[in-house]
Amino acid sequence: MIWVWIALAPILGGLVYGGERVLRARMQRRLGPPFLQPFYDMFKLLDKRTLIVHAPHALLAVAHFFALWFTVAAIFLGWNLLYIVFLHLIAQMLLILAGYSVRSAYSHLGANRELLMLVAYEPILILVAVGLYLVSGSFEITGMIQKGNYLAQLPLLFAALLMIVPIKVKKSPFDVGEAHQEIVGGVEIEYSGVFYEFLYMSRFLEYLFIYSFVFIFGGESVWLGAVLVAGVFLLVNLVDNATARVRTPQMIKIIYMAAMPLAVLNLVWILR
Amino acid sequence: MLLTLILLPIATAFLILYSSTRIQYLLSAAVLGVGSFLSVSLFMSTERVSFHLPFLLNAMIIAADLVLLIYFLVQGKKFNSPKVIVLAAAQLLLYIYAEYAAPSGRSAEIVVDELSRFMFLIINIVGGIIVLYSVRYMEDESVEPYKKRHFIAAMLLFLSVMNAIVCANSLLLFFFLFEMTTLASYQLIAFRNDEISRANALRALWMNQIGGVVILAGTLVAALVLDTVMLDTLLQHSGGMLLFSVALLSMAALVKGASIPFDGWLLGAMVAPTPVSAMLHSATMVKIAPYLILKLAPVLGTTLLGGVLSITGALVFVAAAYLALSRSIFKEILGYSTVALLGLMMALAAIGTKESMMLSMVLMLFHALSKALLFLAAGVLEKQYHLKSIEEMSALVHRAPKTVGFIVLGFVSLTLPPFGLFMGKLFAITSVASLLRERPLLLIVLVSMIIGSTLLVLLYFKVSSALLSNPSDTVRTEKERIPQGFSIPLVLLSLLILFAAAGFIVIQHDVLLALFTLPLLFVFALPSMIRSMEHYDRTAIYHCGEKESFDAALVYYEPSVRIKGMIYWGFGILFVAVAFVGVLS
Amino acid sequence: MKFFIPFRKKSPWILHYNAGSCNGCDIEILAALGPKFDLERFGVINTGNPKQSDIFLVTGPVTYRSRERLVERYSQIPEPKVVIAVGSCTTTGGVFRGMYNVEDGIDRYIPVDVYVPGCASTPQLIIDAIVKALDILEAKSKEIEKPFKLFGAIETIGNKLSRLNMAKKVELHEKN
Repeated sequence: MIWVWIALAPILGGLVYGGERVLRARMQRRLGPPFLQPFYDMFKLLDKRTLIVHAPHALLAVAHFFALWFTVAAIFLGWNLLYIVFLHLIAQMLLILAGYSVRSAYSHLGANRELLMLVAYEPILILVAVGLYLVSGSFEITGMIQKGNYLAQLPLLFAALLMIVPIKVKKSPFDVGEAHQEIVGGVEIEYSGVFYEFLYMSRFLEYLFIYSFVFIFGGESVWLGAVLVAGVFLLVNLVDNATARVRTPQMIKIIYMAAMPLAVLNLVWILR
Repeated sequence: MLLTLILLPIATAFLILYSSTRIQYLLSAAVLGVGSFLSVSLFMSTERVSFHLPFLLNAMIIAADLVLLIYFLVQGKKFNSPKVIVLAAAQLLLYIYAEYAAPSGRSAEIVVDELSRFMFLIINIVGGIIVLYSVRYMEDESVEPYKKRHFIAAMLLFLSVMNAIVCANSLLLFFFLFEMTTLASYQLIAFRNDEISRANALRALWMNQIGGVVILAGTLVAALVLDTVMLDTLLQHSGGMLLFSVALLSMAALVKGASIPFDGWLLGAMVAPTPVSAMLHSATMVKIAPYLILKLAPVLGTTLLGGVLSITGALVFVAAAYLALSRSIFKEILGYSTVALLGLMMALAAIGTKESMMLSMVLMLFHALSKALLFLAAGVLEKQYHLKSIEEMSALVHRAPKTVGFIVLGFVSLTLPPFGLFMGKLFAITSVASLLRERPLLLIVLVSMIIGSTLLVLLYFKVSSALLSNPSDTVRTEKERIPQGFSIPLVLLSLLILFAAAGFIVIQHDVLLALFTLPLLFVFALPSMIRSMEHYDRTAIYHCGEKESFDAALVYYEPSVRIKGMIYWGFGILFVAVAFVGVLS
Repeated sequence: MKFFIPFRKKSPWILHYNAGSCNGCDIEILAALGPKFDLERFGVINTGNPKQSDIFLVTGPVTYRSRERLVERYSQIPEPKVVIAVGSCTTTGGVFRGMYNVEDGIDRYIPVDVYVPGCASTPQLIIDAIVKALDILEAKSKEIEKPFKLFGAIETIGNKLSRLNMAKKVELHEKN
């Protein structure tokens, strides 16, 4: 049964992304695209003539997509959260290598920014995993969702996680990786047709990845998890519509001055 | 067997002095083969070997040590370096006093335990490969032939010194061999005999002499208060002055491992020929630092001293990774990352639990393999393409795909799964997290470890950004040819890395870990897929329609002078604090 | 595949290029994308990247310096694609027709499918044009339309069609 969910993970992600575009449009008081728009985009992209810069560049994007799908499958199967964070690291490194493998200035700039985003959010993700382990006693997700009470003991850690959700889903104020007005799309710039389709679907999977972290904070009650995810979804889109993009050094400063101390403080408080 | 390991390289060194290049290859290959075989078979056996040195040998060692210290004094005078003179004089006085105060009736001077056997593996296999490489490297170097032979002989002598130092039990013998490694470092850094080499060699000399002074101070404390100069009896004591003596010894480890603020000597040592950088300053000599802390770890355990050492090591990990982001010379970047990883190894060793000690050893092995690979590839770049700075290395994958492949393999094996160093860091995070409840101070170690490993990822992939940018695959280039003398060691090291990584995963008996390899299997299927994409259209890079191509520059992150000052002073204070904590315990 | 063809109409991504225009038509295009006229309800996204777009919206009479960039961008859009010439400058040269510094419209260089009059055009006309272009897009095939007037055949390297160096060919061709 779980394998069906895993196989349909990109489609689930697509529905989430489509809903998000409608939500953002309604927040801006306009109609917005149809709900199934991501799937229309997918099929249109599959219908283009294939155009590549060189083969390893295109193949690394495909590798990135499959590595990310594997990570999401690992989350659904409930494996060790720390391993999952590092599987995700492999997926990101494949994308970054793809960005560096062409001699395009925008692609390199985008990959540089992706690396800096990695420096910003990776420590917090690992600290979240360690924090959940300290409260629940196990690194496995199946063990974590059997205990309740995460929000009461780890509120500051949850706040730190909230601060890095915009980085992962590429929304303001931290969407430096895909700054359309600055670097014309960053790493995605040299992709077209089928290969852009793979990157497009990886965006959906990123949504699933980061919102699973939020869901785990609900503990044993599925309803609490769902409410948390919906709340964070709304909050992230509200903040996206309301703020501007920060510069990359500012993003790292904000994360290290605000999110990191919150996370460490919470861990110290637990260990007392 | 043990004697063979020590004596064989010395004998070969003498033979090398009189042989032609062909025979040099054969001899170094023989050392590699015999050394590896012996160390593997020693590793398989489990008996603990120990024996005393005959009195004559002891006397000869004392005499040699005195000659060595006087030589340092003379070198200091010759090159007008007051620091060297003062430190050499201090060492002479302390040494004579220590020899005088040492109690007689000692236990065995040479002890081979599991740690020594493990270190034999690293030293002989990796060291042997580097010696083989240096024969070919010296062919391209522009000095007189006798100097080249002296170089290779010096490397082999160094191998035997390393073999001896990891089984030395007497602190005085350890000090002698420690100073021998300092001598080797000094002479080999000054090999090219120009002004910069000489200045950097002197700097390495006086910084390492500080380590020597501190070892002698620790020996004196042990001899006067605890009435022993043997490590195994020392570690069986408990209480008061033991920790002071151990603190002084671990300060020596910090100096040898080039922790901040002593990183200057390691960075300056990069002007030496590349095999020196590979052997001395990444794969073998600086491994004495975590080795020493591992030896002292049973005592460090849960004490405050152990905590302070762990925190120092972990902070060095972060700080060195951060400082490396501002360098542009390839070997300096590798040097800084060596400093960082050594700090991590020392931090894990000082935690003191069995698991963390094993992880520290695992990290030592994998780091030695990967760093040797990276330095040897850097040597190929230096000799074949005359490239030292990463600014000149853009689009290198076009001209030298195989070398870039080795470099990227080295970087990936240092940071990503399923390779051993990453697995070590993963298990380290898990084990430190499980210890957090009892020892909350380890939180600093955990956070530093996490931030540091992300910074290392940033560092390595920033460097590989220059190497990998390939304009298009429609332009044909001429095939790259690496000479066999260079490529055989590189291939050997790569195979060893892969084999060791696979072995490490298999030993864990954890299916989930094996699944880490799956995303990377894709990489191996890459060439066939590339062939199937031959017929797709090719198009140009998008740069708003411009005709010319533009490159993005490499980004450096230079800390301001104030922050650098804060870092160095802070670590200096930590270094001295280690001694104070030792006294207070 | 036949199955995918109807979806070309559902998600047209545009690339907007200013080939020397006075910005009047550009402002109207951006107004069309704004909340009041809301082109996004048709699924339109303004990508800045030719490799990911289907519709090439060009404004401005082509100035001397922008011809090469025009052609380079056009060649980087994968088929099937449509070109919409927005504004009277782009179609015929407008008020600048016959001047020394403009090339009197883009159809000297690339094949145009929809011409939009107006100086400046209005968002309503632009939306009409896009809707018409979508019908044309559905009928197109994936073959490369040889940019008809200016170039010879597109070169092949090995067995690959190569669209590298399109911009450099403009000057070469005009010299002959």
